[in-house]
Amino acid sequence: MPVIYTADWYSAVVEAINAHVAGLRGVPEGAWTCRIEIAGDGVSPYVAAGEERHFLVRIDGGRCIWYREVLGEEEEGTVLDYRFSGPAAVFDEIAAGVIDPVDAALHGTVKVRGDMRFLMRQAELVKTLLEAYATGVETTWPLGAPPYAVTGGAGDAATAGAPTTAAAATRGPADA
Amino acid sequence: MRDTYDVVIVGAGHNGLTLGAYLARSGLEVLVCERRHEEGGGLCTEELTLPGFLHNVHANYHTFVDMAPPVTDLELREHGVEYVRPEVQMASVFTDGTALVIHSDIDKTCASIARFSEDDAETFRRLHAEAHGYIDLLLGTLMYQPPMSVKELTKALSAFGVEERSEFLSVKLRVETINRFLDQHFTHPKVKAHLAFHGAVCGYTNDVKGLAIGFPLLAGKIDNWNLCVGGSHRLAHALWRDLAQHGGVMIADADVEHIVVQDGRAVGVRLTDGTEITARQAVASTVSVEQTFLEFLDPASVGEELAHKVKTKVRHKDWTLFSVHLAMDRLPEYAAAEFDPDVNRAWVVNLGYGSPEELNADWATIRAGGLPDPHPNAAVNSLYDPTDAPAGCATGLLRQFAPFALADGGEGAWDEIGPYYGRKCIEEWRRFAPNLTDDAFLASAVFTPHDIVRKLPNMIRGDWMMGEISLDNMLDQRPLPELGQYRTPIDRLYMAGSTQHPHGFITFGPAYNALAIMAEDLGIEPWWRKV
Repeated sequence: MPVIYTADWYSAVVEAINAHVAGLRGVPEGAWTCRIEIAGDGVSPYVAAGEERHFLVRIDGGRCIWYREVLGEEEEGTVLDYRFSGPAAVFDEIAAGVIDPVDAALHGTVKVRGDMRFLMRQAELVKTLLEAYATGVETTWPLGAPPYAVTGGAGDAATAGAPTTAAAATRGPADA
Repeated sequence: MRDTYDVVIVGAGHNGLTLGAYLARSGLEVLVCERRHEEGGGLCTEELTLPGFLHNVHANYHTFVDMAPPVTDLELREHGVEYVRPEVQMASVFTDGTALVIHSDIDKTCASIARFSEDDAETFRRLHAEAHGYIDLLLGTLMYQPPMSVKELTKALSAFGVEERSEFLSVKLRVETINRFLDQHFTHPKVKAHLAFHGAVCGYTNDVKGLAIGFPLLAGKIDNWNLCVGGSHRLAHALWRDLAQHGGVMIADADVEHIVVQDGRAVGVRLTDGTEITARQAVASTVSVEQTFLEFLDPASVGEELAHKVKTKVRHKDWTLFSVHLAMDRLPEYAAAEFDPDVNRAWVVNLGYGSPEELNADWATIRAGGLPDPHPNAAVNSLYDPTDAPAGCATGLLRQFAPFALADGGEGAWDEIGPYYGRKCIEEWRRFAPNLTDDAFLASAVFTPHDIVRKLPNMIRGDWMMGEISLDNMLDQRPLPELGQYRTPIDRLYMAGSTQHPHGFITFGPAYNALAIMAEDLGIEPWWRKV
C-alpha cells in the first residue's frame, strides 16, 4: 500500500483513475491539465503549516497520463486548464475517502478555477475521476490517517486540531 | 478622427468600455462610439438637483465588484475606482415601527432576523453559508462564461448529485417562484417581504415562475452591495482611462445610424453626421436588440425571420423604476430606530412592505398600468460617501416600482403625473422618517420611466435589465436562441451588451463573455484567462 504523496502513491492514483474510467462509455476526447495546490493548514501532518505542495495531473481522452508533484510555479510550457486549491487537511480527507470532493467544492473549501463548462458538460467523467481519487487507492498514512479532527469534514478542517491517530494507519476502499 | 479601426463598438456603457479595454490591451485598434455626450450609459452621475449634489441617475448598487474579473484585469482600482461596502447594507421598516436590518456582518443580520423569527434567522444563516460555499462555482459557471443551456446545467447538477447535497438547490426551483421558495423555507411575513423585495430590486420579480433558481445566489450576496465613491460614473471613467491608456478611442456624440454589412460581414458603421468608419475585424453592439437589428441594419442583412423574432419574441421587463432624486440638509431619522438604531445607518431602506402578498398586489397594479401607493426604497449614499453632497448635506434617492406605460395616457402621461407621484413617494418616506419635513429638501428631481428611454433609448420600455428576467430568457436563450452565444447571423457582428447573458446590472458579464467568443473568432490570445 503506497504512502500518501509519494511516487508510488501517484502511480496508484493513475492506475485507479484509469481503471475506473475504463468502465465509462462515451469518454470525451481532448486533453487537459489541472494543478492541485495543497496548503499546509497546521492540521495535516503531511504539509507543514504555511507551506504548499503542488501537483500536476494530465488527463487525455479521459485517461490519466501522469500525476506528479511539482515545485513552485508551472513547469515551462505547461498550460493549465484547471486549478484546485484548498487546505491540506481537506485534500487529505478527500484522498482518504472521508469527505466527498464534490461536497468540498460545493462548500467552497476546495476552490476550482478554469472553464467550468467542460467540467459540467463532462460531469459523469469528472465524477468518476473524483471517485477514483477519493476511494480507489488503499493508502498508508505514516503520520496518522484522516479524519484529523473530532468531527472531520470539509467545513471543520480549517479549525480542526492535531491528528487523532499518531501511529501509522491505512485508509482506503475497505475502511473509507 | 481616423476612419479605420480593427473593432468598432456601438455604445460606451460599462459593457462597451469593458470590451473595448480588453481588446485594446490585446493590441487591437478599437473605437467605441457613444451617442451621448459622455461615456457610461447607466453609469451616469449628474448634479440633477443642485450644484455639488451627485445623483446616480441609473446604476447605484454595484454587487459584483469584487467578483468580476475585469475589475482586476483592467486595474480599475488603480484607475481611481473606490468602493465602499456599507456596514449596514439595507433595511426594511414596517408600519408597526419595527425594522429588519441587513448588515455586512452575517451574525448581526441573523440577530436582526431573529427578532422576528429565530427559525428564519437560522434558515437564513444556512442559506447564506450554503450559497457562499458555491458562489465562486456559480459565478465561474454561470456568470463569467458563455452560457450553457438549462438542460446541460440540470444534467450536470443531477450527475454531481447536487440536489441531495444541498438544502436549498433543487431542480424544482426551475418551475417555482421566489415567493414559493420563501414559503418553503421561511415563516415570518416580514422576513419574506424583505427577501422578496430584495429579489425584485435585483430584477428577479418574486412572483415570476422559475426565478427561484436564482434566489440562493441573491441571498448569498445580499450583503455585498457596494457604493462607488464619487458616483457611479467614476467606474465608467476608469474604464475609459484604461481603454485610452491602451490606445483605444471613445468618441462621444457619435450617434450610430447604420451598421455597414458587405457580403454578409459587418465591416463598419455610419454615424448620423455621415461619417463612415471601417472595422477591419469586427463590429460589436452593446445597445438593444431592437436598435441593432431593426434600426442599424438593412432588412436584407437581417432577414425576415430574425426581424420578425426581434419584433415579436424579444421580451422586456413588465415593470420599471420611477425615481426621485433629492438634495437634503439632513439625514433621515427613522421612527423604527427606537426598535433598532442601526436602521438610521442603513444605506438602503425599503419602506413598508410587510408581506410578499402586499408586493404581489402591487405587481398586479403595475402590470395593469396603474400606480400603486408608493413603497419605494430610499438610498442615502451620503451616509457612506460624504463626497456626494456639500458638507452637512446629503443626497437621497427614492426608487419605486412602476409601469412604463400608464393605463391612462401611456408613457407620455409621466411628464404630468411624475411630480405628483414624486411627492407621494416623499410623503411615504416621511411617514417612516418624520424628521424629513418639507424644509429638509433643498431640491428634488423626478426621473420617470419615460425619462429613462429618453436618456438611454437602449433601455426599451424603461427596461433597465435590457431584457426580461425569466427562465426562458436566460442563459443561451437570451435574448433569442440564435443570438445567445454573442455571435449573430451576420459574420463578425457581435452582441456584447446587457441584452445578453447574464443580464443587466453592473456585472461586466456580457462584455467579458462576448470577449471570449470574439477571441476565438479573431484569433486573440486570451491573456486575461487566469486559471
